[in-house]
Amino acid sequence: MEQTSTVLETPVSTPTLAFRGKGSELFSIQIVNIVLMLVTLGLYYPWAKAKNLQYVYRKTELAGSPFTFHGTGKEMFIGFIKGLGIIAVLYGVLFFGVFSHDLTIYAVCVLAFFAGVSALIPVAIHGMMRYRTSRTSWRGIHMGYRGTLGSIFKVYFVNLLLTILTLGVYGAWFTVNLRKEVIGNLRFGNARFSFEGDGGDLFLLHLKGYFLTLFTLGIYVFWYAKDIINFYIDNVFIEQDGKYSRLDSSLTGAQYLKLALGNMFIMVFTLGLGYSWVITRTLSAIINNCEILGEFNPDELVQTEEEYKNATFEDVADMLDIGIV
Amino acid sequence: MFEGKFYNGRTSKGMPAFITLEPNHIHIVWQTDAESGTEVWLLPDIHQLEFNDATTVLEYGKFPRQSIAVFEQGFRQALEQQYRGAKFLSSKYNSFLKTGVKGLVLGGLCLLTVAVVLFFWGVPALAEKAAAHFPEDYEHAMGESLYNRVLEGYTVDSAKTVALQAYLDALQVQSDFPIRVTVVENEVVNAFAMPGGFILVHDAILDKMEHHEELAGLLGHEIGHVQMRHSTKAMARSLSHYMLLSVLFGDASGISAVIIDNASSLYSLEYSRKAETDSDKAGLRLLAQNRLDPKGMVWLMERLNSDEPEFLKFVSTHPRTDDRITALNAHIKENKYKTAPNPALEAAWAELKGE
Repeated sequence: MEQTSTVLETPVSTPTLAFRGKGSELFSIQIVNIVLMLVTLGLYYPWAKAKNLQYVYRKTELAGSPFTFHGTGKEMFIGFIKGLGIIAVLYGVLFFGVFSHDLTIYAVCVLAFFAGVSALIPVAIHGMMRYRTSRTSWRGIHMGYRGTLGSIFKVYFVNLLLTILTLGVYGAWFTVNLRKEVIGNLRFGNARFSFEGDGGDLFLLHLKGYFLTLFTLGIYVFWYAKDIINFYIDNVFIEQDGKYSRLDSSLTGAQYLKLALGNMFIMVFTLGLGYSWVITRTLSAIINNCEILGEFNPDELVQTEEEYKNATFEDVADMLDIGIV
Repeated sequence: MFEGKFYNGRTSKGMPAFITLEPNHIHIVWQTDAESGTEVWLLPDIHQLEFNDATTVLEYGKFPRQSIAVFEQGFRQALEQQYRGAKFLSSKYNSFLKTGVKGLVLGGLCLLTVAVVLFFWGVPALAEKAAAHFPEDYEHAMGESLYNRVLEGYTVDSAKTVALQAYLDALQVQSDFPIRVTVVENEVVNAFAMPGGFILVHDAILDKMEHHEELAGLLGHEIGHVQMRHSTKAMARSLSHYMLLSVLFGDASGISAVIIDNASSLYSLEYSRKAETDSDKAGLRLLAQNRLDPKGMVWLMERLNSDEPEFLKFVSTHPRTDDRITALNAHIKENKYKTAPNPALEAAWAELKGE
């Protein structure tokens, strides 16, 4: 073969992030999803979700290459059924108690129900992270989640207890510690993530946001929300071969205001049909304002993570309304 | 031949590659500074391609997958020409996107129509269906909170309440719920039933009555509403959108709170014509069961008729009282009623009337 290396020589990729999804494209996917869900009385949901995620991932780019979501409707359907089973058992216990007409049985069942639901949250986060990360790849390199159920349980319940004891004040530290646990166990091939935020900083952001929102009759709420989003993003660090980099969000309050008001108008004036545009606008505002600062080299990732296909808690997390990623 | 990048699934390094579309496989020649190689991708092992844009990404094989990315150069058309009908090229979703703006707008409008129909017709109908299956305990508990809330706006006539309850106890009644009646001071000739067996009677209607059969008919009518769950259904219907919201936000306990907060809407609840006619028949049945004169129902209607202002007769959505009377008379004629004196009821009636 001839020497063509001069033609094919490519510069080292710069790690820019971009979201290139279009509302109209997502809408054309959603409309098929909605019709199929109506026809199947909602059973199509896991397939609909898979298509959505596949689209959104495909349109999210790092260094010019798209992410891929490998999850399938079938996997998530099996997960959906199992998740439904778990929730049904919990509610079964609750209703058994309610209709037992016996105060002791009632109390035991209600306690069991709440214990079950609160135990389910860390289990769901754990399961969802394992599934979601393993089914995400970029240039063929898969992400992964190395956390153990034991450690997330510990973090979750210790922090939950402290939050209850401090009447919610500890909530900011709870959020941060949970993120440290979850993001700290996140892998992207041989790159590892960590969350370096401080609970005190988040608490101060909430305090400042709360009072300024009050004083400005609510106008500050957009800057408040921007601060929280940037706090979550800016504190994510990536370690690759001993070199560190971090995410950095340049989202401004004015941009967030435009995004939030725009989304509201779209939802109101299209009677909710414009939801696809709301998603693509939100993702572009967040991802296109995000960059990686430091020495992260997107060309030197190495496959390290194993495959994991159990989607049970992907849907439980959905039902419990947990959205971390 | 196309130029692109090849990724081997082990590292993220994009390797410059030449890609050729052969009849039964895709041929890839890649090279880096250090090494080079060739790959043969058999068509059945290429993964389905969806949502590609200017860059076409294809993936191949088992975990970890190899992939190629090709920027434009007509690669996509070439794929479609060369491998028409191949599994990895098919996509329902892409085909809908190809319908363009017209298809999307049309699809959107159809969806909107379905949503509007479901929202204004489906949701209330569903709520009504659900209300018919509320557990009796729940309905009773809900009715009780509602009843307590409604009573806050009235003065209860306790002497008459006791007498009316005594009259009711002397009646033979069939109902899923324990019936509780309360007499309140109000000049409007009216009475209404709440879910779970709570009935409120204005004292004005009692004052107007001349025969105790009318009272039995009235109670029968209201118990009919309770038994057939008319008020529960009507409330579920009028509050269905609140209920939908509370279900959507996973707050099922919110439903009864919403219903109680909207207790005032009870006055404006409209029963359908059929609900009224059915309850009239329930009133007749109660009279028959207790061997009372079925004419009681007709007298009751005449009492209501005399009170109704002329203009209301045209606007009211209720069956017109005259029509109800005609229907009742027809019904009475069809069935043979045996009447017998009932001293217990008459005594309770005298107690109620004799102040």
